[in-house]
Amino acid sequence: MIDTRTGRKLALSAAIIFFSTLAVLLARQFSLVPDKPAPDWRNFGPENAPVKIVEYTDFACPACRHASGKIDEMLKVFNGGLRVTFKHYPLLNIHPWSLHAAAYADCAGEQGRFKEYADLLFEGQEKWGLAKTMPGEFEIYAKKLKLDWPAILACSEAPATLKRLKLEIAEGEMKGVSATPTFFINGRRAVGSAQLIDQAMKFDNILRGAAKP
Amino acid sequence: MNEKLTRQDIGGLIARLAVGGVFIYSGLVKALAPAEEFAFAIESYKVVGPQLALLAANTVPWVELWTGLLLVAGVFTRPVTVFIALMLVFFELLLGQAWLRGLEITSCGCFGAAGSNSLGQEFIQNLALLLICAAAFKHGLGFSADRALEKHEA
Repeated sequence: MIDTRTGRKLALSAAIIFFSTLAVLLARQFSLVPDKPAPDWRNFGPENAPVKIVEYTDFACPACRHASGKIDEMLKVFNGGLRVTFKHYPLLNIHPWSLHAAAYADCAGEQGRFKEYADLLFEGQEKWGLAKTMPGEFEIYAKKLKLDWPAILACSEAPATLKRLKLEIAEGEMKGVSATPTFFINGRRAVGSAQLIDQAMKFDNILRGAAKP
Repeated sequence: MNEKLTRQDIGGLIARLAVGGVFIYSGLVKALAPAEEFAFAIESYKVVGPQLALLAANTVPWVELWTGLLLVAGVFTRPVTVFIALMLVFFELLLGQAWLRGLEITSCGCFGAAGSNSLGQEFIQNLALLLICAAAFKHGLGFSADRALEKHEA
């Protein structure tokens, strides 16, 4: 039989555990978790830009291809006022080659051509996205950009590359990302290009004010 | 509050806050990060496989957070202090075996995966925490919920 004092201590312990757990889970749910930095080659725009967009994307997703064009336009228009960070969120259950594409793009990034390689991946996603066997496009794109393909292959299999991708997927899951593209515009969530533009309009004054003429 | 504090009580309270604070911080940093991140750190000790590492990564940060909070509040002060000390001993064993085996550990996982001291530094830090635990065990009832409940009943 539990005496009164022990009972009170147990009740207090339960309250502490309950409220601390709730606080942490809410912090996760409302994306109060700080973002992990992405490699330099996946950041576009100045570090001190007043509006920051973090994009979780999948190279095989058509909506991401569409959004990629919008992001490029925004970077041109609001040059100086906007910083975009690109994060991989390959939807492994529906896009069998997305993880490979993400790894190759990062490895192209190590050779200084992430953006160019990413653009080619988006452009050609219909060719490789749902291929039954390993698509040859990955190598073709690398050669088109005069990249060192054997080095990209070795880099894509390196534990550090796979670890970075897995952690990024886990980070996306923790932030409740379930569809691509998902954006966080100064922390506010938007899914798809329409929501992106809608949300970005709220920052229009800041963006225009900070944009370089 | 009419509690007359002795120097020992103050020392015990500081010890509780120090150890509890470290555990709250350590647990919070990891609980707010993807579990996979901490799991990678656990895997690097080469003691358990990926599945068990992920299970541990999903559990340990919460246990650290809860025990840290209980120690700071002074609820079940002595049992919680003993439990924390046992965790520290376990961490010391993990760090020690990694050091003896010469494992290349870039992040010990102690305070998340963002950065880490050397194994030696972490080992010494844990030893210091163990000593502070001893003080918390012996004199940690000052300003504790345990003592407040005792007085309430008296």
